[in-house]
Amino acid sequence: MNSKMKQLLTALAISSAVITAPVSVQAADKPAASDIEEGKKLAFSRSKGNCLACHMAGDGAQPGNIGPALIAMKMRYPDKQKLYNKVWGTDDSTKVPNSMMPEFGKSGIITDDEIRKIVDYIYTL
Amino acid sequence: MKKTLLSALALGVSMVATSPAAFAIDPEKDRQQLVDFFKAKSPKIAFDDYKDGGYIYSADKRAQWEAVEEFPPYLDSVDAGEEIYQQDQAVYEKCFGDDPSNVRGHYPYFDEKTQEVVTLEWAINLCREEAGLKPLKYKKGDMAKLSAFFAFQARGQKVNVKIDSEGAKQAYEAGREMYIKPRGQLGLSCAKCHTYNSGRYARADLLSPSLGHTTHFPVFRAKWQELGTLHRRYGGCHQNMRANPFKAQSKEYRNLEFYQAYSSNNLEINGPGYRQ
Ligand code: HEC
Ligand code: HEC
Repeated sequence: MNSKMKQLLTALAISSAVITAPVSVQAADKPAASDIEEGKKLAFSRSKGNCLACHMAGDGAQPGNIGPALIAMKMRYPDKQKLYNKVWGTDDSTKVPNSMMPEFGKSGIITDDEIRKIVDYIYTL
Repeated sequence: MKKTLLSALALGVSMVATSPAAFAIDPEKDRQQLVDFFKAKSPKIAFDDYKDGGYIYSADKRAQWEAVEEFPPYLDSVDAGEEIYQQDQAVYEKCFGDDPSNVRGHYPYFDEKTQEVVTLEWAINLCREEAGLKPLKYKKGDMAKLSAFFAFQARGQKVNVKIDSEGAKQAYEAGREMYIKPRGQLGLSCAKCHTYNSGRYARADLLSPSLGHTTHFPVFRAKWQELGTLHRRYGGCHQNMRANPFKAQSKEYRNLEFYQAYSSNNLEINGPGYRQ
């Protein structure tokens, strides 16, 4: 392997480490209404969050019941960052054996920003 | 009870993942454990009912399903399957004997000569090709119809898959690993949906139990508006998991069928079935 390519690969390794390791997205205290609206769309969309496949959430039609209903999120997650971490799938978030809950950030299913918006939305439930 | 079974199954995952060779599974014990698991999960559901898929979990859906089964939409396809059979009857009789009701129940089996799992659909094409006929496509169409004809003829017989060699055991283990190990972007496994969460809803879909998965195939699905084979369904589920599907009748899917069919031993063959 030539050294240029090696450099490139190391650079890639480092940058992907940055993407997967720390969860830097700040859970904003007062999210914009447009973010909440977008978060709802993302949460319901089959190709994005598809949370309704498994969770009851807001007025989403025909929800599944594989996971717990997403209600009273503020009460259950006073620390919004913890909620974000659960959806993202950080190593320090709660792990349930054989859980169906996908690790949306860790597995690269959707972007960090999309997760932030989804969390902004479910935090209103 | 439930907990120990769950952790036993979970243990299976990590052991298989790290050292497939070092961990020998006794298929009969394993099957019994699965039966016990479903019994502990739903004590009121009788073993024999597992041939009916997800409908065992909902009286409403069951009633709708039974109404459809009174005038089943697959009967024309069974008739078409019989015509396909008659067209080349001599060929099929040479391979399968002259009693079409005595075919379905022998598949899948493990062939010691080739060390391969032979499914019914695979055997049909082997037979056709040996006679110089064109092989049929595996997921739907003529193959599904012919398979439906054989299944219909065998209704009421019991699934009876045998494992009595090291090779057969290995095929079972390979199928079992495919069933248990997470695959694809969402981190899902067959077991997560059809073992741990059977009876729950994924959106509007009631998740069926793995026990009995193979008894009623091929299936006429409302969504397809036609018959589809078991391997078509496998491909669909892999796609929903955002995992790359394997080809119908690939070694992977034949082993998976072998595992699932062995797990369903002693249940009634009731194909073809109707599904939502
Ligand atoms: C394939 C099924 C599935 C999908 C899709 C899914 N979840 Fe989950 N989720 C679960 C299960 C099962 C649990 C419970 C076990 C656990 O906590 O891991 C869960 C747990 C959770 C929890 C913790 C629940 C609690 O009461 O503390 C949150 C929050 C959550 N999910 C949010 C989401 C969001 C947001 C989405 C969509 C972006 C989503 N889930 C998509 C299955 C799913
Ligand atoms: C995300 C959930 C999910 C996963 C993972 C999944 N399936 Fe399914 N599967 C379904 C749903 C939903 C259906 C349609 C409802 C039903 O019959 O269970 C279905 C149907 C089936 C059926 C037809 C059942 C019948 O009675 O006709 C079979 C067989 C099957 N799946 C096998 C598998 C296998 C094998 C795997 C792994 C390769 C798998 N599934 C993974 C959700 C899933």
